[in-house]
Amino acid sequence: MANKNIRSLSYRKGLDDNLLENIADLSNSDGTKEDFKELAKRFLIDDSVVAGTTSFYDFTKEENRNKKVHVCSGTACMVAKSQSKVNNLLKDHFKDEEIGHAACVGHCHTNAAFMFNDKTYSASTKENIENIVIKNISSSAVENSYYVGCNTTPILTSKVKDVAEFYSLSKKYRTKQKEAIDEIKVSNIRGRGGAGFPYWIKLDAVSKEINEQKYIVCNADEGDPGAYSDMYLMEQQPHKVLFGMYISGLIVGAATGVLYIRGEYPDSIKIIQNAIEELKELGIAQDFKFKIIRGQGAYICGEETALLNSIEGLRPEVRVRPPYPAQYGLYGKPTVLSNVETFANIHWILDNGGEAYADLGTEKSSGTKLVSLDSFFNRPGMYEIEMGTPLQIIFDDFGQGFKSDIKAVQIGGPLGGIVPIQKFSDLDLDFESFGENNFLLGHASVVSIPIDFPMIQFLEHLMEFTADESCGKCYPCRIGSFRGKEMLQKAQKEDYKIDRQLFDDLLETLEIGSLCGLGGGIPLPIKNALNYFNDELNQYFKSN
Amino acid sequence: MEAYINNIAHEYKQGETILEFVRRIEVNENSIPTMCQDNRLENFGSCRVCSVEVARIENGPTKTMASCHTPISEGLYVYHNTEKIKRLRKNIVELVLTDYPADKVLPANNKKATPFQETIAQIGIPNVRYPKGKNHLDIETDRAHPYIKSDLSQCINCYRCVRVCEEIQGEMILGMTGRGFATNIIKGFDTTFDESACVSCGACVQTCPTEALTDKFETKTLIADKTVRTTCTYCGVGCQLDVSVIDGKIRGIQAPETAEVNEGHTCLKGRFAFQFYDHPDRLREPMIKKKGEFEIVSWDEAYDFITTRMIDIKNKYGADSIGGISSSRATNEENYLMQKMIRVAVGTNNIDGCARVCHAPTAWGMQKSFGTGAATNSIEDLKQTDAIFLFGANPIKGHPVTGAKIKQAFMKGVTSIVVDPIQTKLADLATHFLQIRPGTNVAVLNMISYYIITENLVNEHFIESYTEKYIEFKNHIADLDMDELEIITGVSKEKVKAAAVAYAKSERAMEFHGLGVTEHFQGSKTVMLLSNLAMMTGNIGKKGVGLNPLRGQNNVQGAADMGVQPHQGAGYMDINKPEIQQYYADKYGVDKMPIHEGLKIPEMLDAAIDGKLKALYIMGEDTIMTDPNTNHSIKAFEKLELIVVQELFMTATTEMADVVLPASSYFEKNGTFTNGERRVQRVNKVVESIGNTKPDGQIIIDIMSKLGYDQPTGLTYDAANVIEEIADVIPFMNGLSWDRLGENGLQWPIKEDGTDTQMLHIDGAFKKGIGTFHNFDFEETPEIVEHGNKYPFILTTGRELEHYNSGTMTRRTDNQTILGKDVLEVHPKDAIKKGIKDNEMVILFSDRGEVKIPIKYSKKVKKGILRTTFHQPEVFINLITGSVGDKETMTPEYKVVAVDFKRI
Repeated sequence: MANKNIRSLSYRKGLDDNLLENIADLSNSDGTKEDFKELAKRFLIDDSVVAGTTSFYDFTKEENRNKKVHVCSGTACMVAKSQSKVNNLLKDHFKDEEIGHAACVGHCHTNAAFMFNDKTYSASTKENIENIVIKNISSSAVENSYYVGCNTTPILTSKVKDVAEFYSLSKKYRTKQKEAIDEIKVSNIRGRGGAGFPYWIKLDAVSKEINEQKYIVCNADEGDPGAYSDMYLMEQQPHKVLFGMYISGLIVGAATGVLYIRGEYPDSIKIIQNAIEELKELGIAQDFKFKIIRGQGAYICGEETALLNSIEGLRPEVRVRPPYPAQYGLYGKPTVLSNVETFANIHWILDNGGEAYADLGTEKSSGTKLVSLDSFFNRPGMYEIEMGTPLQIIFDDFGQGFKSDIKAVQIGGPLGGIVPIQKFSDLDLDFESFGENNFLLGHASVVSIPIDFPMIQFLEHLMEFTADESCGKCYPCRIGSFRGKEMLQKAQKEDYKIDRQLFDDLLETLEIGSLCGLGGGIPLPIKNALNYFNDELNQYFKSN
Repeated sequence: MEAYINNIAHEYKQGETILEFVRRIEVNENSIPTMCQDNRLENFGSCRVCSVEVARIENGPTKTMASCHTPISEGLYVYHNTEKIKRLRKNIVELVLTDYPADKVLPANNKKATPFQETIAQIGIPNVRYPKGKNHLDIETDRAHPYIKSDLSQCINCYRCVRVCEEIQGEMILGMTGRGFATNIIKGFDTTFDESACVSCGACVQTCPTEALTDKFETKTLIADKTVRTTCTYCGVGCQLDVSVIDGKIRGIQAPETAEVNEGHTCLKGRFAFQFYDHPDRLREPMIKKKGEFEIVSWDEAYDFITTRMIDIKNKYGADSIGGISSSRATNEENYLMQKMIRVAVGTNNIDGCARVCHAPTAWGMQKSFGTGAATNSIEDLKQTDAIFLFGANPIKGHPVTGAKIKQAFMKGVTSIVVDPIQTKLADLATHFLQIRPGTNVAVLNMISYYIITENLVNEHFIESYTEKYIEFKNHIADLDMDELEIITGVSKEKVKAAAVAYAKSERAMEFHGLGVTEHFQGSKTVMLLSNLAMMTGNIGKKGVGLNPLRGQNNVQGAADMGVQPHQGAGYMDINKPEIQQYYADKYGVDKMPIHEGLKIPEMLDAAIDGKLKALYIMGEDTIMTDPNTNHSIKAFEKLELIVVQELFMTATTEMADVVLPASSYFEKNGTFTNGERRVQRVNKVVESIGNTKPDGQIIIDIMSKLGYDQPTGLTYDAANVIEEIADVIPFMNGLSWDRLGENGLQWPIKEDGTDTQMLHIDGAFKKGIGTFHNFDFEETPEIVEHGNKYPFILTTGRELEHYNSGTMTRRTDNQTILGKDVLEVHPKDAIKKGIKDNEMVILFSDRGEVKIPIKYSKKVKKGILRTTFHQPEVFINLITGSVGDKETMTPEYKVVAVDFKRI
């Protein structure tokens, strides 16, 4: 494992005097080069480490420090074509160089999204934008509100009525770690971040590690454009998330939990912080320390090992596996790392028993799943859906159909499959159904692609996203996604046709050669598009 | 444990990666190509060309995995050369070539292929089908550094340089900036090598698979006539070097990965500082001073002159009027011959060497405590220790390769304790740092012992079973007043206690010490108290423990082993015992040996002043510059009737000589050096002798012959033959032979059958039978007692990474460009009080004299303490150092000098 020295030196200061937070603070306060060098000295590391980390993130790198407002560049906003208007309206108030971008702020249900003054908004009228940036008032028109529904026993969307009572469940399992793991095993809950790895295995592995220091890490870097279910949970169900981390800590013997929340979700950070304060006031879970680390604008941090490096203040480059986080996680210590939604399920499982949970959904995909629908639906919003529910039902009954004609949806973020409308009826909401049809359930976000949106432009967007967000470590992703983007752009702008053999080679290289799921995942939607929209795309390619 | 390669079953080893497995089974480093892989580094997985297909069942569905970081496992089927894999590799190379200079795909005409060029040739160089896109081909070349150049247009972002910098050298100078396609290698905060804090070790250049990083010698792509493995001359680490020779000239040096000592690494001295060897300043002809001027003479004339004069002096004043000073830079064989010449051909025990001015107290003290004056353990033990106790040493500068290993351990969080008056980089990284006043080593060790005893952390079993005189020691310690010692050392009791507890509580603790221990009035006593620490905690005789002196010069261990000491002959036998005299007489084939102990160097100088010593024969020592109190040394030299010096260059000492004999450098001869862990390693002749020079060993054999003693191994210096004689004379080297040394040498004791020894005193079996505790009170050095009031500052001397000792060799290389002057480090408050600005020249003076030197503000020294180095003759710091020395061994107290300074 690379970077052991830097990691160990960062560990000396730990979470209280955290390297990434220090770097972010200096960046936000216009720190000078000397300040950064002083920071390096204080951490006993060299300048290149601090410079390397600082230059990685959208919100800390030098070129972006003058940005005052960040316009959402996520997929949902792009296909909704709302952003050029937002951009123009903002130009009345900001210089060009003060307007930056944010890769999805989670307003996919409304679009016209941007981030200003540590808050996110949707606004596309002159008046609304003035209210926000000048008068500092927000109205319901711009607030982040969306419909929430459920088609089954509510696990994630039910209300926590009494916080103290909610946490009292932990007493039952304080000394019964093994039983807790067994319940979770019986529930068959699989990680909700997208990979679907059985959660109990992580608990079991970390509980068996002998180490004085262990961590629970919550991956709240919900970077998939189109997804806002983690945002929903953090902002409306914070105690479900915190409890899941807390009880996991009790189970494996970890007394520290880190929530890595993306910087594009400022409200989530505030609400989780308030919930942690609330616990303090109530004197609940005080044998467990919660720490929020704010992401600084890098999609790759959703990848678990990049996320760990990020917390440590290292460059968030993807680590090799093995070792896995369960053995060598945060600061090299045994770590349970899972997604917000996974943690949010744990209370219900332990409260109602693993079997009750397993009864929901399908045999291999148990429980419920949050599905986020974008603004093309007649009723966009957040839906808790029992696994195995046909996709068509979700779209028709819950989303209430589409506002305008679409030709496909992308489900599961930028690395999720592009599902043409004719395939809707073949799919159920579970890992297996999606896998069998060469799609990906992922985080179950749905972004619609309007009928008039050129598929080549959509592919360019996906490749550009990958090139922009690649950590740069492995060759296929670093160079391949960039060349892919260049070719897709060239084919639209110039009299240039992409060599289809070359493009297929590139996709194969990315898919089988990449170090992580970013480079490895991007060929899936592109191959879906080439498969289902060949007629439209054919003109941009030549075959030898 | 079986896995399959192309459906054929093979045994695999626990923990092996697929890459290691396949390469081992196929006995072919190229069976799977790699770009980002360096066997010495942590697995990284960036280039992906090592990908292979794996399946759970024979010819079953496969997954593509990077073999470099995927462990092989039971029953796994590996297919590493399928069409799919070949295509993947070629497609990756094609991507790489879209951002790589087209004219660098093939090796240039007169250059060796780079590893990258070899790899892509093996994979098959594809046509680049991508349209021309953005690239990094116009990145500016960084040529600011005297040795290292970067041309990042050729960089393939494999991170090897970044990783080697952190993982091997323990620095983080090289880093990566940006993300995605915009990632770029940076140095420091995106500056040049020269401006960054780079320590110029060159590890990045060696690992870089392209010519993105090169050295000024272009070592990587040299097509050498031959490459010779030899042992570095620059310190006690004993790095192995691969020296490339073209047309009889040295053209570049690489560090071999197969070398156990340095594992493919070395420092800027070993790697780059070789240009001194054919520098125009090299002495090329023998010279005799006639009427105050040196005149070139023939070897015969020089020999006749020397031997005639020596015989005259011997006849007139007796053999004891002649003294010899040998060099720890010369080979074992040459040191052996030198002491033999003085003892046998001249007939006196007046033989001493530069160990006198560095580690004599170590040899003496450890012999008293354990019975052997050498490191108890090996550097390799660093991998197994739980605690490192570093006392009076800064190996990052003095022993860079070992220093880097220690630094790594410190960074990774091993319990680490540093005792030093200077806040070194290692002190910054240590978990405990005791910044004592120079000269109070005994006081702080007594405090440490006190807390180990009072906290009940002693190892009773070890003490009772294997040691003596513990009770006396314990009682002595119990009577000490910690409050008083706290004031003396200037370090709080709490800090000392915490360090003591940390050391004693560690399962395995290793002590390392340097000249900060020995070059003191109480030097030998400090060594013995360090020995006490190891014994009282049972930290001796097992892996990852022990007392490990960081030997200064490359062969300071060997010189002492060979008998370059006035009281002990080759193999540490006391020469004042009749049976020992008989032993040597028999071995050397003479009737008798001189019977009483000879003079130590300081005694020789005093004897010269007293008129008792008349001639000095010096092999490779700049006594005038390096011994303390220069004026005293000059006075002594002026009284001598004959001074003979064998040297590479003119020095302050040769200037005073009557005869100067041009010696060959270590590149020009065979022999062996013994490193700080008792490892005897080969020095192999790389090039022919420069000019009319001769190896020191040859000169000594010639002189001996003229003095009437013919070396039994022949009149031509042949290291292998001399080794045979050494093996016969020194009991603990009985199994030594040139052939047996092989590439990685042998650690003594070397048994008859050739087996060597990594660790001494195993399980309490001390060489001297039983370990002995000693106890001592702190005693203020006479230097402070006598001069402290008049000269209120304490000067302590040390060295810098770039230079070796008095700099005769390193100053004649580009190392001098990197660091060209000695400075006086002063706490800013002390300087400001005197109204002196940073970088201003000052006069630094003591009771002995004064020197001019620029000052540098530094908070690495405490108020009242000054630090400087002695590399540059312009400063000549020994003009002001004093004559106080270690009571037992007379090793000078370079580390405590009462001084003051003023603006010019």
